[in-house]
Amino acid sequence: MSSSAIDPFAKPLPSPDPDSQPLWDGFREGKLLLQHCADCGNVQYYHEFFCRNCQSENLEEREASGRGKVHSFSVVYRAPGPAFKGDTPYAVVLVELEEGPRMISSMIDTDPNDIDFETDVVFTTEKINDDISLPRFRLA
Amino acid sequence: MTKGTEPTIRGKTAIVGIGQSKKVGRVPGVSPLALAAEAANAALADAGMEKTEIDAVISTHAMSTSFHRFSVAFSEYWGIVPTYSNNVQVSGATGAATLNEAAAAINAGYAKNVLVVIGDSLLTGMTPDMALRSMTESRDQQYEMPFGIPVANTFAMTAHRHMKEYGTTREHFAHVAVTQRKHAIATPGAQMTEEITIDDVLNSKVVTTPYHKLDCALISDGGAAFIITSAERAKDCPKKPIYLLGAGECFTHEHIFLMPDITTTGGVTSSRLAYEMAGVKPSDFDVAGIYDCFTGTVVMMVEDLGFCKKGEGGPFIADGNMTYGGAIPANTHGGLLSYAHIGNGGSYFHAQEVVRQLRGECGPRQVEGAELGLYHALGAGFACAGTTVLGTEATL
Repeated sequence: MSSSAIDPFAKPLPSPDPDSQPLWDGFREGKLLLQHCADCGNVQYYHEFFCRNCQSENLEEREASGRGKVHSFSVVYRAPGPAFKGDTPYAVVLVELEEGPRMISSMIDTDPNDIDFETDVVFTTEKINDDISLPRFRLA
Repeated sequence: MTKGTEPTIRGKTAIVGIGQSKKVGRVPGVSPLALAAEAANAALADAGMEKTEIDAVISTHAMSTSFHRFSVAFSEYWGIVPTYSNNVQVSGATGAATLNEAAAAINAGYAKNVLVVIGDSLLTGMTPDMALRSMTESRDQQYEMPFGIPVANTFAMTAHRHMKEYGTTREHFAHVAVTQRKHAIATPGAQMTEEITIDDVLNSKVVTTPYHKLDCALISDGGAAFIITSAERAKDCPKKPIYLLGAGECFTHEHIFLMPDITTTGGVTSSRLAYEMAGVKPSDFDVAGIYDCFTGTVVMMVEDLGFCKKGEGGPFIADGNMTYGGAIPANTHGGLLSYAHIGNGGSYFHAQEVVRQLRGECGPRQVEGAELGLYHALGAGFACAGTTVLGTEATL
């Protein structure tokens, strides 16, 4: 296999960067961390070096409540490649967190038919390997 | 008609040549560069120009090739040495963005005669690795793709929320597919020419809710090319010049979770900018080419482009307003849903259809008296939006 070939059966995993390492460290510890700007009050997901609103570097990292609502969702029947084929049908959810920011995730231990708009969900994590735990949600 | 605020590119450049590969749809055995060259040859003949007159090439990434600089690779393949070259990558919005850039480059004095060109083989030319890469690398690797979110899913979530907020139905979406299939049946060379019904769309295989197979764009092989020149030079070309009257773009986010409002897109801003530059309003348009990666995309766009109020796109289209005799005949060639979808340059066929309509070349599918045309392209889960206003000499 050439170095440019990718394993079609392996799910894509994130490679944390200098901005995002603390966020992924948090996921590994089971925490969803949000950045709160001490200058303008903006709350942001995902981690950046600056506040996305005012460019301040004065960001405080706080653990989110983990509560949110499904803002939108789509249940995937045709998987994007063989790696996800065994999971279908699965719901990709756009969750609006109690603190304001939205994030993309997917559900665990949930029948896709039980998901609707504004459904209450709670954050959890799923350990993939020693470095990476993925943020997931389950029904509240 | 009032003119836009100066300085602008309004009326300073024109499309004088359009061309497609000899065949679009399923075209095995012809490389992406050859498809692009066939299209460029056709556009050159249409413009009545010599190859040596082309001094600029603007292109985009061809997914079934490994070229990092398709415009440069194409120039070598076609045997020219341009003095301006660029590759624009703003996903589906690339179509409008490249035409807008061609006009800007000419207006700035960087180029005289610009070739905008692409060839791609999404249907028959992708190795399994390329296909997989295009699927898995189309969304962000940290915050989206680990959750198995194909780009289709981002569009699907916006449409789903539109249904929730405005009462839009899958039947409304299906009207887009059925209307455009009728248009494709009247268009020589279209990939899909079998009539479909609302029920066919509703009962086709589910892909990612609320979208089923017939709500989704095709996958195709093909090439498309344009030649754009100054208004002055355009007067000497054999075909009726189609002037670029307005251009606008908007890039609202990268990740779908940072889209400010998932049922309203950057098309609101890009179209407003383009209309202001052109000095026109939505009701002035005679014909439109509207990006249609999914049926619901068109429903949302007739709203954001100003043809109806927010939330009324479904009934607007179901009432026949995107076809002949309606408010804005759109995608009269069949669009990505039924004509062809060749990747980043897929909506070039929309722009070419608008040009043909404005030239009066469409025969049985001609929109009578078409003088002012709209071209709107978008991509990447509504991250990117580009609008181009086109018109005949009468609109100057």
